Amino acid sequence: MRASCLGLASCAVCNQLMRLPARRTGLCPRCGSQVYVRKPASLSNSWALLLAAVIMYFPANLLPIMTVMYLGSGQPDTIISGVIRLMMHGDWPIALVVFVASVLVPLLKMIVLLYLLLSVHRKSTFRRRERTRLYRMTELVGRWSMVDVFVVALLAALVHLGVLADITPGPGARAFAAVVILTMLAAMSFDPRLIWDREEDCQ
Amino acid sequence: MPDGSAGRNDTRELVACHQCDELQYIGVLAPGQSVRCYRCDALLARNPAGGLLLPILLNLGALLLMLLAYFLPFLTLEIQGRLQTTTLPGTAKALYEAGMGETGIVVLLTTVIGPVVLVTGSLYVLLGVKLYRPLPGLRHIMVWIGHVLPWGMLDVFMVGVLVAAVKLSDMANLVVGPALYAYVALIVVSTAALSLFEPHVIWARMDRMGVWYRAR
Ligand SMILES: [Zn+2]
Ligand SMILES: [Zn+2]
Repeated sequence: MRASCLGLASCAVCNQLMRLPARRTGLCPRCGSQVYVRKPASLSNSWALLLAAVIMYFPANLLPIMTVMYLGSGQPDTIISGVIRLMMHGDWPIALVVFVASVLVPLLKMIVLLYLLLSVHRKSTFRRRERTRLYRMTELVGRWSMVDVFVVALLAALVHLGVLADITPGPGARAFAAVVILTMLAAMSFDPRLIWDREEDCQ
Repeated sequence: MPDGSAGRNDTRELVACHQCDELQYIGVLAPGQSVRCYRCDALLARNPAGGLLLPILLNLGALLLMLLAYFLPFLTLEIQGRLQTTTLPGTAKALYEAGMGETGIVVLLTTVIGPVVLVTGSLYVLLGVKLYRPLPGLRHIMVWIGHVLPWGMLDVFMVGVLVAAVKLSDMANLVVGPALYAYVALIVVSTAALSLFEPHVIWARMDRMGVWYRAR
């Protein structure tokens, strides 16, 4: 039996089960947090944040994340050109790590969220267990995309030697940090219980 | 599912799965045991082995390591005899100085403020629960820990250090500072501390201490 069918809801913060009548919101007796039967405006919040992430994905990949100047010469680097540079240098394992964390993970995360949102709108009953598992994965891996932002921060802090060598962070890094945060927020606002919601479940 | 045999086992707790809303009973968990939702396989609760003392010691260790990791030199770069040193929070400052303050704040929140809040917060709560004292703010701090938890990225920053080191390898010499050693130890210790910190167990202990928002 599902909690919402019995007028019960569990607190998102402390897991306390409480009776939530038709009002659909109330304060948790245990921790004082606001409790909802489902995350409020889950779908519209999640859509809005996902859309914002998709929009930011373009400047994140098109704008330079940093400019490396070494002995008077240098050029701006985007995320992809940074990966290619590592590959050409023969640093395959690191190139692969950056490619997975910065290119693959954000892209897959946005596709998975898009799929989950669409499947909920279609009231799909297809492989609900696996879809819930997919949701858990997006929650788990999203943070690893922040790697490139940290790389830019480290290089910007370390390489400040005037004409000898200088690394300046670029606007791509800012857009990329926004993509990571927006996709994390989009995943957090998505309520996986919606995957399991069907009217006939309570009968 | 609610059934008729409840009378004997009144230690069982009725919970609803966070990810599929299915109601189920969970019994008393042995140390090291965890339960998953029978319907969607989400983790419902665990009872980490090691009790409360071990996570207290680990968080205390993490707090000391933080002092070293955040204040001592992290990395030093050497090009043709010229040196440049940074601390870990210095990376956020560098972004700020380059006109990217918002990105700097993101780095500061995920690598310094978030982890500090998590370690000091969980240390305080664990001490309160261990000493069986309803210290002021226990409930609020538990709520805060839940909100901050996804934003701590100490481990992700480590991968950033490796990538940065490779990128600099043919341009300059990198000298590892004492803070970097402390930081690697901090990742190990704080990850262990976090894996032993189970909100379900803490809330249950706080229930017995009578730390309630309002009487049920
Ligand atoms: Zn609560
Ligand atoms: Zn479940």
